[in-house]
Amino acid sequence: MTYKRKKYHHGDTHLKKRWRVRNRKKDLDQIDEDIKEENADKLLNQSVDLDLPGAAQHYCLHCARYFINEQSLNEHFKTKVHKRRLKALELEPYSIEESERAAGHGSFKQASKRKIVTQNTEKTDVDGDAIIEDISPSKKKKVNENDS
Amino acid sequence: MRIETCYFCSSRIYPGHGIQFVRNDCKIFRFCRSKCHAAFKKKKNPRKTKWTKAYRKTAGKDLAIDPSFEFEKRRNAPVKYSRELWTKTIEAMKKVEEIRQRRSNNHIMQRLRKGREVEWQRDVREVQRDISLIKSPAAGLKQRQLEEETEMDIEPETIEVVDAKGRKKIIEAPVMVPATGEMIEDGGDIDL
Repeated sequence: MTYKRKKYHHGDTHLKKRWRVRNRKKDLDQIDEDIKEENADKLLNQSVDLDLPGAAQHYCLHCARYFINEQSLNEHFKTKVHKRRLKALELEPYSIEESERAAGHGSFKQASKRKIVTQNTEKTDVDGDAIIEDISPSKKKKVNENDS
Repeated sequence: MRIETCYFCSSRIYPGHGIQFVRNDCKIFRFCRSKCHAAFKKKKNPRKTKWTKAYRKTAGKDLAIDPSFEFEKRRNAPVKYSRELWTKTIEAMKKVEEIRQRRSNNHIMQRLRKGREVEWQRDVREVQRDISLIKSPAAGLKQRQLEEETEMDIEPETIEVVDAKGRKKIIEAPVMVPATGEMIEDGGDIDL
């Protein structure tokens, strides 16, 4: 007699782990909080934490991701993932308060649109920013010369 | 007893129903049923999901901004119990609910009225365009022709013509004879 095979999900642990709650990334409304200046400063100038990628020195605010070095961070800024995230943050994210307003508890507010720009990477250095500021514009100039 | 609101669809959650998710920043997300919970887990945007209250209000389908919504809301200010206030509130709630319902129904009717106007205009345009399906373009041609002929007779056969230089001339007008007269007579009477 044939019987239905059990154990269909044997070896799925790596798939399950992705959906565990502890692997949840930050939601858009949390990032919306982070963008505010006082929080942004803290996140962009974090102390060295060896447990995090790049010792938490290269952080993308809008995607809530750590990068291992300056170069990979700058490359990330050019990716579609990052641009999509900026676009998604343009409209004020949905929140619990809004769900209550939609239910008729208080007047409903239309989500406002704002302009979101990629964080300023020149700001991230602790001291001697003048030197690095000198370097980065020259780099840009070189690229422009190559283009033209 | 407290009636909560669903995070996703903004419906009411009565005690013993639904499920809640507490995020690691202590925010509590309440869901009225597994449908809403699943949509949240899939990171669907309630503003873009057509069956939610948030969608209906952002898209202007339902009444969104009105003073009647200001009564029932989270105020985070404790109120000392008094029986008088309690009874008055109960009375007021009935009235407020009635007004709110009337206004939101009115909003929907106003919204639909516009569609009816558009429909009416479209009907008029359709009739103008496709009138030939009901009424033959040749219908009544004979009569019109007769009228035209009589008019032609009345019209003077001489026409005043002004030159480019500004001189006036009187010319005998060429009388137009309809070449298709026979054909028109044939097609004149079409019965549908």
